[in-house]
Amino acid sequence: MIEFDHVTRTYGPKTAVSDLTLAIPRGELFALLGPNGAGKTTTIRMLVGLLHPSRGAVRVCGHDLVKDPRAAHLHMGYVPDEPCLYDKLTGREFLWFIADMFGMPRRLATSRIDREIEHFELGEFADDLAESYSLGMKQRLVFAASLLHDPDVLVLDEPMVGLDPRSVRIVKDLLSARTREGMTVFMSTHTLAMAEEMADRVGIMVRGQLRFLGTIAELREQMSLESTTLEHLYLEVTSSRSRES
Amino acid sequence: MTIRSVTPDAVRLLSFEDESRLFMRLRATLAWETVRSMLTDARLRLTLVVVLSGLFWAALYGLFIEGFSFLDALHAEVISLLFNAFFSSLMVMLVFSTGILVYSGMYCSTEARLLLTLPVRAETIHAHKFREALWFSSWGFVLLGSPILTAYGVVRHAEWPYFVLLLPFMISFVIIPASVGSICCMALVAWMTRLRMHALTIGVTIAAVAAIWLGWTMFSQTKVDAMSAAWFERTFARLAVTEQKLFPSWWLSSGLIEAARTDRGGGIAGQALFESLTFLAILVANALALRLLAGWLARVAYRKGFSQLSGEMPARRQRRLRWFDQALGHAGFATGRPLRLLLVKDLRLFRRDISQWSQFVIFFGLLGLYFVNLRAFNYNNSYASMIGYLNLAVVGLILSTFTTRFVYPMISLEGRRFWILGLLPVHRDQIVWSKFLFSFVGGLLPCCLLVLLSDSMLGLPWRLIAQHELCCLMLCMGLSGIAVGLGARMPDLRESSPSKISSGFGGTLSLVISSLFIMSVVVVAAVPTHLFLISNTMGSGVVAPNGILAWAGGPWGATAGVILVVILGLTATFVPLVLGLRAFRRLEV
Repeated sequence: MIEFDHVTRTYGPKTAVSDLTLAIPRGELFALLGPNGAGKTTTIRMLVGLLHPSRGAVRVCGHDLVKDPRAAHLHMGYVPDEPCLYDKLTGREFLWFIADMFGMPRRLATSRIDREIEHFELGEFADDLAESYSLGMKQRLVFAASLLHDPDVLVLDEPMVGLDPRSVRIVKDLLSARTREGMTVFMSTHTLAMAEEMADRVGIMVRGQLRFLGTIAELREQMSLESTTLEHLYLEVTSSRSRES
Repeated sequence: MTIRSVTPDAVRLLSFEDESRLFMRLRATLAWETVRSMLTDARLRLTLVVVLSGLFWAALYGLFIEGFSFLDALHAEVISLLFNAFFSSLMVMLVFSTGILVYSGMYCSTEARLLLTLPVRAETIHAHKFREALWFSSWGFVLLGSPILTAYGVVRHAEWPYFVLLLPFMISFVIIPASVGSICCMALVAWMTRLRMHALTIGVTIAAVAAIWLGWTMFSQTKVDAMSAAWFERTFARLAVTEQKLFPSWWLSSGLIEAARTDRGGGIAGQALFESLTFLAILVANALALRLLAGWLARVAYRKGFSQLSGEMPARRQRRLRWFDQALGHAGFATGRPLRLLLVKDLRLFRRDISQWSQFVIFFGLLGLYFVNLRAFNYNNSYASMIGYLNLAVVGLILSTFTTRFVYPMISLEGRRFWILGLLPVHRDQIVWSKFLFSFVGGLLPCCLLVLLSDSMLGLPWRLIAQHELCCLMLCMGLSGIAVGLGARMPDLRESSPSKISSGFGGTLSLVISSLFIMSVVVVAAVPTHLFLISNTMGSGVVAPNGILAWAGGPWGATAGVILVVILGLTATFVPLVLGLRAFRRLEV
């Protein structure tokens, strides 16, 4: 579903992502971890087509994000770290705009909008202007918009920022259910507990390079630490590798 | 290999027409909601905008009816020259303003980041943002151009086709420079990412130098009798450079002049109308061709440019003025240090916000240019004095737009970061006072210099200059007091955009009070002086010797005027400040 094929991205003399090769199959929830400045945001931005790789290619469902971005976007949903909405649209109007953008038939769009409003408990404020929403409400609306068209690939950049515990639970349950149905999730996060609880595989980036790729069990095995938390393992990987480099 | 979708029939790529319709619907919904919220939440602002625009339109219309009647009688052949000069300068301004607006809309906005992650064509996003930029950059042209062109039609007794064709002419004209601006913007970002600021600076510099050269050569002749035949001839000879047949401004002015032509009986002149429609067709064809070119460029260059711009490393800030900040922070007594540190912080933010200081430089620079050219005309004493007071009012009005736009929102913006200041050993009063000092000192120097320049060029006596400088001091104090005081009295802590804060009720009220204050100060100062000069130049018989006017025009009247100006200044400074300080002390964040 998602392929990074020898992807490198440079900012002037600085290499933000170096020769990243990664394939994420259908139905997998992948969590990308790493310290600040590791290259996670650059990776996410290349995945959603906002940044072009300096070398290599990023593909979603076989569509190259540079050569055929619209076809790739048709299969994707994206939840950015800072929700972007139109202040002068209501939540429902925003959902309709997104549904129309994906060319959804009228009847299907109506049912999907109702479904997502119910899933994310947006009913109370769906008809208020977005300018009156709190950060959490905005984030819930963006989640709803990203799932309207039942995307094959969902890209999440720090998805839990601003969400209250109940909303976090809703999102987690939804992600589990959707991945079981075949949706692929690519998530960048600093919330290690969430990655540990939900991710099928994790990738740990340090200074633009993927230092680890695998399951938590494999990470434990690799680090020869049997019964420890992901936090401990993560700190081991990032600190030891940083020292090496 | 393309992988089959989980829900293949649920979604589809839209056609270009469907995308366009969707964005038109979005634009209409946003516009309607904006108007609706203005009608409910910002009636004062809306009323002011409508009334002032109406007054402005009517005043321009009246002025140009007189102007065109005068030219029609004496110099009918120069209308084409004037139109060409007017439209060609507008054309240059539209290229720059649309280019800048397209840049901020397409490359720096969160909306662009959202749209680029959706299955929408790059050219549709461009068209959407272009329409927005076109509206913002050209509404001024419509407001300025429509009364002028209507007045021309009325003076020339033009038939109905002229008035019907006005709007199509104006719209097709503005699309051309706006498209050129957006094309230049996209090309610069995509292929000259690192050099875009240099290219823009060079372009602006060339345009500014050309404008200064034109202004200078028209007015720099020593003591030419303005409005004389010789002056007209020389000026028109220089303006002839704008009459280029390949310029859209020429097509527009020629088309309009032809449309206004009537036959000998006063009816529609068929041949002239045909000529006019030909010019309109040329404008429309070029506008459409440029839109197509812009759309094609957006398709090939927008996503690439956005990516390149996002991938730029932020330039390392050179801290050339660090010594000044440190000197300001450490100067004076230790008790005033928190206030000085707040000042240094605001000064740094101002220096690093190009939108603030560039507008400051542009407006005051243009005003300075105008003042420098005042010397070119001959004035008698009372006329020079009146112009001096009008210039003082203009300086005050420009300063009031800055205090409303940039100083008024400062407290509200500080409120959002209140957790930083709230935990520091700084009294809340010091925050308000630091904003006042920042605005007052920042405005005082350029304003006093401009007033001095204007008065020197007008050749006013030192006593009048001193009075004007005192008025300027009071204006700077009062305007800063109004903006800071009302900003602290009516803060909007939820809003992060300074433009939205300043365009709310409090900001509009601040602008209205500031305008009334400026008018009061200038009138109170000007009336005694003017009466005195009238008595001197036209003889004492003009003013009754024992009446109130004679008293007002005498030394007591002048002294009373000065005292009133000081009272007005102190009231405008301290009443809003005291109200603001009280409210800010009680503020719960």
